[in-house]
Amino acid sequence: MIPPVLSSLIQVFIFPGFIFILSYAMFCEWVSRKFVARLQNRVGPLYTGWEGILQPLADSIKLLAKEDITPKAADKFVFALMPVAVFALPLTAIFLIPIQSLTNLWGYSPIVSFEGDLIIVLFLLSVIILSIFLAGWSSANRFGIIGATRAALQMLAYEIPLGIAMIGPAIFARSLSIGKIVEWQAQSMHNFLSAPNLMAIPVALLLAVGFIICTVCLLAELELRPFDSPEAETEIVHGWQVEYSGKKLGLLRLGHDVKLVLASALLTSLFLGGPIGPWPIPPVVWFLLKTAVCVLILSNASALFARLRIDQMLGGSWRYLAPLSILYIMAVQIIAGLM
Amino acid sequence: MAMAKELLKNAREKPCTLLYPFEKTAPPEGLRGKHVFVGEKCIGCGLCARVCPAFAIELLGGRGPKMSGMKVYLGRCLFCQQCEEVCPTGAIKLTTDYELAVLKQEDMVLVFERKPPEAKQPKKE
Amino acid sequence: MGKREFTIHVGPQHPALKEPENFVFKVDGEYVVDVEPRIGYNHRGIEKAMENRTYIQNLYIVERVCGICSNSHQTCYTQNVEELLGMEIPERAKYIRVLLAELERIHSHLLWLGVAAHEIGFDTLFYYIWRDREVVMDMLEEISGNRVNYAMPTIGGVRRDIAADKIPKYLKMLDVLEERTKFYKNICATEKTVLARADGVGFLSKEDAIRLNAVGPNLRASGVASDIRADSPYLVYDEIPWNVISYDSGDVFANVLVRVDETFESVNICRYCLEHLPDGPIRTIFSPLGKVPEGEAVSLVEAPRGELIHYIQSRGTDKPYRYKIRAPTLGNIPALCEKLRGGYIADIPIVLAGIDPCFSCTDRMVFVDEDRDKRWEMNGEQLRRYGVEWYK
Repeated sequence: MIPPVLSSLIQVFIFPGFIFILSYAMFCEWVSRKFVARLQNRVGPLYTGWEGILQPLADSIKLLAKEDITPKAADKFVFALMPVAVFALPLTAIFLIPIQSLTNLWGYSPIVSFEGDLIIVLFLLSVIILSIFLAGWSSANRFGIIGATRAALQMLAYEIPLGIAMIGPAIFARSLSIGKIVEWQAQSMHNFLSAPNLMAIPVALLLAVGFIICTVCLLAELELRPFDSPEAETEIVHGWQVEYSGKKLGLLRLGHDVKLVLASALLTSLFLGGPIGPWPIPPVVWFLLKTAVCVLILSNASALFARLRIDQMLGGSWRYLAPLSILYIMAVQIIAGLM
Repeated sequence: MAMAKELLKNAREKPCTLLYPFEKTAPPEGLRGKHVFVGEKCIGCGLCARVCPAFAIELLGGRGPKMSGMKVYLGRCLFCQQCEEVCPTGAIKLTTDYELAVLKQEDMVLVFERKPPEAKQPKKE
Repeated sequence: MGKREFTIHVGPQHPALKEPENFVFKVDGEYVVDVEPRIGYNHRGIEKAMENRTYIQNLYIVERVCGICSNSHQTCYTQNVEELLGMEIPERAKYIRVLLAELERIHSHLLWLGVAAHEIGFDTLFYYIWRDREVVMDMLEEISGNRVNYAMPTIGGVRRDIAADKIPKYLKMLDVLEERTKFYKNICATEKTVLARADGVGFLSKEDAIRLNAVGPNLRASGVASDIRADSPYLVYDEIPWNVISYDSGDVFANVLVRVDETFESVNICRYCLEHLPDGPIRTIFSPLGKVPEGEAVSLVEAPRGELIHYIQSRGTDKPYRYKIRAPTLGNIPALCEKLRGGYIADIPIVLAGIDPCFSCTDRMVFVDEDRDKRWEMNGEQLRRYGVEWYK
């Protein structure tokens, strides 16, 4: 039996913590790049490893070796700190998501779990955008500042629908803990299979609506098309990232990958039943499969649209997304009350 | 969402990318590529060097019978084929060879030798 | 309120500009208040270089003024020289020149459509369009021997003939192009995010378009049906049935529609040329070291980007005495600034790309003393003296 301290250390640093998440994040980037490339009739990364699977790693190593430039006018402390924050915050949030228990092959408790950790995840998502804003602002570049303000404006637009959409399953599960929400999904699936009842249909439909709202908001959170105006390359030259180079840019890229994992992990845990699946396959495999599907959905959307202008994004969000999410939460309340 | 169908269609198809150094397309007939020079045909008139818009052709040893060869600076050449067009005997020609990348600057210069017509050689001696 | 405006420099290096040029934007938040263009980063001295080369050598220099409308420049140049020589070129050569010009227009317009998609962040459309543009590139390569610098028109005709057995294949390729362009027109007209970015963006009224001297598709998108091919037909454009395309709305979306519809017209013109190709020689002989009689000439060509003007002055030698090129983008820059004012920062790339700029063709030199706000204009003789003084 492993001593508890060692077990916690392994959980945080190796599996399912730091190293596991990092390698999975790079894998997700590869999946996303390869998939978008195939949609666009290209081949995508090809030469490093099998079908270019090591390309994200190679890119990161290359960036580590590059010259790291800090602009003269930049606020040096904030400028150096923010890439770390952008990388560390989504990683912290992933610790709250159930993937796989180390001691029990069929268990899936998260590394840290407590009542209300969903709120923490939401909070961390907002802090990520705040650090993005600070990163762009501290670089003292005009394009950087425009990108930073766009990121902050965008957050104002999608944060409320995102929060509401994520609270939906929590109301059904009567808990604000992601672990409990996953358990509720497993329980109700089990109940439905043993004794089918009609109440499951509206619940499933509502969860589907929540899933769509959540996906749209997470596209904005991840700055993927059509909501990539904070880093629009042809307009403002990668926006808030414009002055970053070398190691810091490498961290930002890794941070983006981890954010992609976090987004798909959230979608998986809140709407797709998390790491639960039919018996002979362990939870971690189910988790990886489901998140990969979410990554594909997110990257498919980014190949399908043109970039929206920031004012169109704000208008669209407040005109359609916010009312839709309020209707959704009302329906959730009513159905949950009837149950 | 107008593209959704096309996206799915393309995802099932083979990528259109050609993995260039390993896969190659045959150049079309008449592509203007690397030069060849047939020394036996050349009469040393030097028209090619005079019409070349990029001054990429240099006659070695001067015009006429004393011309001993020709240098073609590929780095300057525009591949306009004007030299081939003015050549009265068809001594200089463009092939369809399009792979012109080299590692050294010296290799960018094609040096062709021209043997003086053999019939004239015994007379001189 | 205080001073809320600040300036943004777009260019000389910027992802939205494929060539170095500087635009200084005065912005208030996300709105563009004013814009000041500065051209001249890419001046290559081509006109001067042409004065030092023979007429045949100049064919290939003038072709390299622009990477995309190379054939238009060459056609314009050959027309000038032929006018000075009093030379009439064979019918077949005229048809082949028209064919080349229209293929070039198809390639240029599809390229523009792809770039426009890229500027609004629709990379998928960009990849697809550029993939399908390869059809016309292959066709040009097969006809002329090169993808970009075709080197087809020469003084007195064209340099290569079109093989009769290849014509059915070319016609089939044109069908593919037409079908794909129809598909992309449909995408642009139905995809909501494209409409959101193109419809009503970068407006230019009809009056402004005429006042600011806009040319080409940019002018026709503002409702002025003006096209050199129709207004003063050159080659055989008066024999071929085709229509001038124009749309009234004056925005980027009208630009898209004008260019897409012109592509259809071009496909039809190409078909007509291939089907009605007259027999006969393809060139009359002009000696490679020939001299051109004294005189001056101006020729106009409708390049894919608009009206192209070349002026030539000859003093009876084997080299032109003076050559002057007015590329279409120069005419479009004042209109471009008008389009950019009052828009969003996010619309800068698409509006900039909307005129299909080609800055390297445009660049020219002006003597300016910024400190004293003074500028000089010189005529040819003064310039020559200035040069002599400078190097004394």
